Amino acid sequence: MERNGKLPKIYLTAVFLVLYAPIFYLIFYSFNSGGTMSHFESFTWEHYAAVFEDKRLIVIVLNTVVVALLSALISTAIGVMGAITIHYMKNKAMRNAMLSMNSILMVSPDVIIGASFLILFTLVGIKLGFASVLLSHIAFSIPIVVIMVLPKLQEMSPTLIDAALDLGATRKEIMSRVILPFIKPGIFAGFFLALTYSLDDFAVTFFVTGNGFSTLSVEIYSMARTGVTLTINALSGLIFVITAGLILGYYFISNRPKTPAAGVKR
Amino acid sequence: MKALVRGAILIAATAAILMIINAQLAKSGAQSGGNTLTVYNWGEYIDPDLIKQFEKETGINVIYETFDSNEGMMGKIEQGGTSYDLTVPSEYMVEMMREKDLLIPLDYEKIPNIKNIDPYFMNLPFDPDNTYSIPYFWGTLGIAYNPTLLEGQTFESWDNLWDPSLKQEAVLVDSAREVIGMSLNSLGYSLNSTNLGELREAADKLKTLSPNIKAVIGDEVTQMMMNNEAAVSLIWSGQAADMMSENEDITYVVPDEGSNLWFDNIVIPKTVKNIDGAYEFINFMLRPEVAAQNADYVGYSTPNVKALDLLDPEVVADERYYPDEAARDHLEVYKDLGLEMLGTYNELFLEFKMNMK
Repeated sequence: MERNGKLPKIYLTAVFLVLYAPIFYLIFYSFNSGGTMSHFESFTWEHYAAVFEDKRLIVIVLNTVVVALLSALISTAIGVMGAITIHYMKNKAMRNAMLSMNSILMVSPDVIIGASFLILFTLVGIKLGFASVLLSHIAFSIPIVVIMVLPKLQEMSPTLIDAALDLGATRKEIMSRVILPFIKPGIFAGFFLALTYSLDDFAVTFFVTGNGFSTLSVEIYSMARTGVTLTINALSGLIFVITAGLILGYYFISNRPKTPAAGVKR
Repeated sequence: MKALVRGAILIAATAAILMIINAQLAKSGAQSGGNTLTVYNWGEYIDPDLIKQFEKETGINVIYETFDSNEGMMGKIEQGGTSYDLTVPSEYMVEMMREKDLLIPLDYEKIPNIKNIDPYFMNLPFDPDNTYSIPYFWGTLGIAYNPTLLEGQTFESWDNLWDPSLKQEAVLVDSAREVIGMSLNSLGYSLNSTNLGELREAADKLKTLSPNIKAVIGDEVTQMMMNNEAAVSLIWSGQAADMMSENEDITYVVPDEGSNLWFDNIVIPKTVKNIDGAYEFINFMLRPEVAAQNADYVGYSTPNVKALDLLDPEVVADERYYPDEAARDHLEVYKDLGLEMLGTYNELFLEFKMNMK
């Protein structure tokens, strides 16, 4: 790698360009006074103003974010427990059955999952709205978290636990000091994947929204009749900037020089 | 472990704060009083200012929910679990919903403004006597084309699409009824034909069109035409209007042999909770000035005769949006042909797509 140090950099830049070009294309047209995405007329802030004027849209965006955060959080907790349970099952047939059931949920079409949730909720009597959307998002995110966490558990050497037991660790300590720290990368990966799944899911969400509760993807897909407006471009631009800001902020916080006075070391 | 717990608490707190903000926003937007009306419509298919105006006038708080397809909407209504007071299905879906007993017959005593609707759009086969539905917007199926990319071809007849000079120039909407219907019309048959001989003839004629076809696609037709990537397209008037507003060169025509006339209609579904509010809303939407403002915003053709006087005269005189009596005589509304026949249409259409060169 030393001799052609330029090549990987160029390649990486090209990949990022390809990935980011559509986003910047979207954002570019959010400043277009023309009203569509085909040719640029003149610069305007009006679409951004429209986002802030449209209370309904803001409520929908916040709904989407709340559902994504909560569903990712809860499904990560359940998924991690599930993965640990599956991993330490003694009965091999049972373990394989569990894994297969998890995989079935991964590959079954969203439309079918959504429709069956709708039937389930109306039968049980759960009112369609925030609760139904949250529950269904938790349900379809759990298998993803399980899939993300299991490899980490398989990586972990069983001798690690034996060693901890020899050193007098209780079961609780093994869980909190050995297993969880080891699988942390898997947990984070599962969480963020669940988050993105929840943010952009349309098929399942469409069926279980109702009573005034809606999410962004349902709103955007519904514009099929008349075309997506540039207000959505402006909103995408805002979301992109906020996300980038959060990531940069996180980066600076986690890389800040640790001063000894920053607290007592434990 | 500590980091995990801390992260979880942080996320939960963020969600809680956002929920509180949201509750405040929703509260400030809603009117006081528990009188709400839930409208289930296509996205961007109504001028939001009209909803505000209606809320001001009546004190009813409107919840506007959206769907992206007739089928999805019907699924939600059929299953219940949410109280939609009004919805806007296309004409074939009105028929299906009526058969499934999902609609409530309208009480015209409460809708005096129905007199503003053009009689031509009333009492159509999909809903005789308008027992269940009132037309909301309507349009046609035709050919949108860009003369600057062509060598002077015109499209008075469907047969012009078969012109050998149009090699690889035309795009079609990806829909069996539309494409097979177009071929049936070009042969002078009805687009509701159930005669297998006629259908076979139409399918065979379509095969000879394949050299001219660039693509059979969905919503992307509008973009392709706007960007001058395609010169000719089979498309609905609503989408054609979008193209024309963006690209001055494009024009739209309904060929002489006849074509499809489509409708989106207001209905009251079985899930209704606030029936009086629903009637008030329908009556409000039928006011000439409201219908005109809405047509102006959405850009589709309104069936409201009185509204035409308030619209831009140029638009109303435009044959492409509002065809005259003579042209209208050749237009047909799709009939529900039953599942078996629909299967036949889909098979023929698939056959055509698979044989495309």
